[in-house]
Amino acid sequence: MSFSVKNKDEIIKAIFIQIAFIVLLTSPQVQAINIISNITAETVSLSTTQLRRIYSMRQVHWQNGTPIVVYVLSSKNIIHQKFCKEQLRLFPYQLDRIWHKLTFSGYGVAPIEVANESELVEAVKSTKGAIGYVENVLEVSDVNIIKIDD
Amino acid sequence: MLTSLKLMIRPTKVWSYSIGTILSVSVAIAANAAEINNESLQVHGFVAQGVIDADGSNYINDDESISFELTEIGLNASYQINDDFRVAGQAVYLNGGNRYHPGPRLDYLLLEWDAFHNEAWQASFYFGRVKNIHWLYSSVRDVPFARPSIIIPQVTYFDGLRDLGVGGDGAAAKFTYNDDELGEFDFNFSRGKSSFSDEQADVVVGEFAFGKVEHDLDTQVSVYWRPPYSQWRFGVSVNDASFGYQQAEIDNFFDSDFTLQFYTASALYEGEFWQFSAELVQERLVTDGFYFPGFHRDTIGQGYYAQASYQLQKELSVMLRTERFYSNKDDKNGSQLARNSGGLVPAYFGYHNDTMIGLTYDVASNFRINAEYHWMQGGARLSPVVQPDPIANDSKNWQVWAIQFMYWF
Repeated sequence: MSFSVKNKDEIIKAIFIQIAFIVLLTSPQVQAINIISNITAETVSLSTTQLRRIYSMRQVHWQNGTPIVVYVLSSKNIIHQKFCKEQLRLFPYQLDRIWHKLTFSGYGVAPIEVANESELVEAVKSTKGAIGYVENVLEVSDVNIIKIDD
Repeated sequence: MLTSLKLMIRPTKVWSYSIGTILSVSVAIAANAAEINNESLQVHGFVAQGVIDADGSNYINDDESISFELTEIGLNASYQINDDFRVAGQAVYLNGGNRYHPGPRLDYLLLEWDAFHNEAWQASFYFGRVKNIHWLYSSVRDVPFARPSIIIPQVTYFDGLRDLGVGGDGAAAKFTYNDDELGEFDFNFSRGKSSFSDEQADVVVGEFAFGKVEHDLDTQVSVYWRPPYSQWRFGVSVNDASFGYQQAEIDNFFDSDFTLQFYTASALYEGEFWQFSAELVQERLVTDGFYFPGFHRDTIGQGYYAQASYQLQKELSVMLRTERFYSNKDDKNGSQLARNSGGLVPAYFGYHNDTMIGLTYDVASNFRINAEYHWMQGGARLSPVVQPDPIANDSKNWQVWAIQFMYWF
């Protein structure tokens, strides 16, 4: 059995398309970022602008008066980068700049940075007034899940 | 009531010990930062060292040699006392050669009172030694990784008047307003008095003036506005400052009063790859006395800088800046200044121009290298400004290059 050069090219092309399709199907699903808070926050939804205010440290209390404690992952973390762009519509460096300015001028404090997502969830669970974000909200319990309205 | 915390570290011989102390405490705290940071207490700091060279001026040193006088170390702590009150302080060690006097400084030490807040408004008051928050980069001018370059635009952030412009002992108020339709507003107010050491007085009035410089209370106001979801931010500021010179028993100069009124208008753009910022400046300087009793001079200087940076790769960005300033708007080329001084002060002391190219490379998330080259023209932003030194600064054109390594936590 023999193939012409043209047929051979088409078969190789078809194999590549099949492989790409299988890789896409088996790769982890692209997840949305979810906002979580400590149960003392008593807030079920926030607008995008309110969330921006909280993360740029312009709103430091929840509606019920509880002080907000903001938790973040490192600015190099892919989840943090997705959170900034998708939920806040800010670039990570813009937040870094705001936080550096507050921290090193004395006019405010920066969010508390934790090493990974599970530490962040534990911190939000155990800290009064805490807020944070996770990629997979189904694996999280004992926290408020905050709906973000545009 | 705490209205003024007048804590001063005297820039005496202790400074050489202080570098080591701040550095070792910084390193020890950096190693334990994870344990120290909790909801109430936060500790942060930075260490930066560079190499710098200025050819054709005494901007860095008198012999124009390559210098390591580019050291900045800082350590700060913030403690939330309760829901309404917080204390924060920062100590720094700075060495910039001739740019300002080297040594340790208490950068800020303040008590914050969160007086009022609701969904739209937040009002906070600060008492003690507070930093200037009124210009785009004034509150972080000594924080190497938070400012845009190693040498920041001298038109606004003139090193010779650093101690006057960096902040003072007094109080500040910050009101923020957020509106979904109108955007974010910041209203800032401060009133305070800067401490002037004898060494800093030499930087301002020159070593042949033996008297004392006293800074009176100054008042500063600024407003910033970011439209909803905008990548732009706009601001204006006004500063009204005065300082006096008290002549020594034997002195070459006389009792005098200086008034400095400083106005800025700024714009900032933060895009994904491009960033842009600019500040327009007007500076009114009134001199009564100093050169001889009864001397009076009232000049208005004007200038601007505009800078753009572009992210070439994830860790690498390039910045270009142009900067123009003339100390008397009615004498832009300095010819009148040269004529009035009988030719002793060259015309190029009437203006200051800078064209800069810089690179920033992020080695890690908290370790950066900055490198830059400046083509400078003129001596209007060379110290001492009230008594120009045409012998040390005998070139109209001069250049500065610098490389600085910085780490923060």
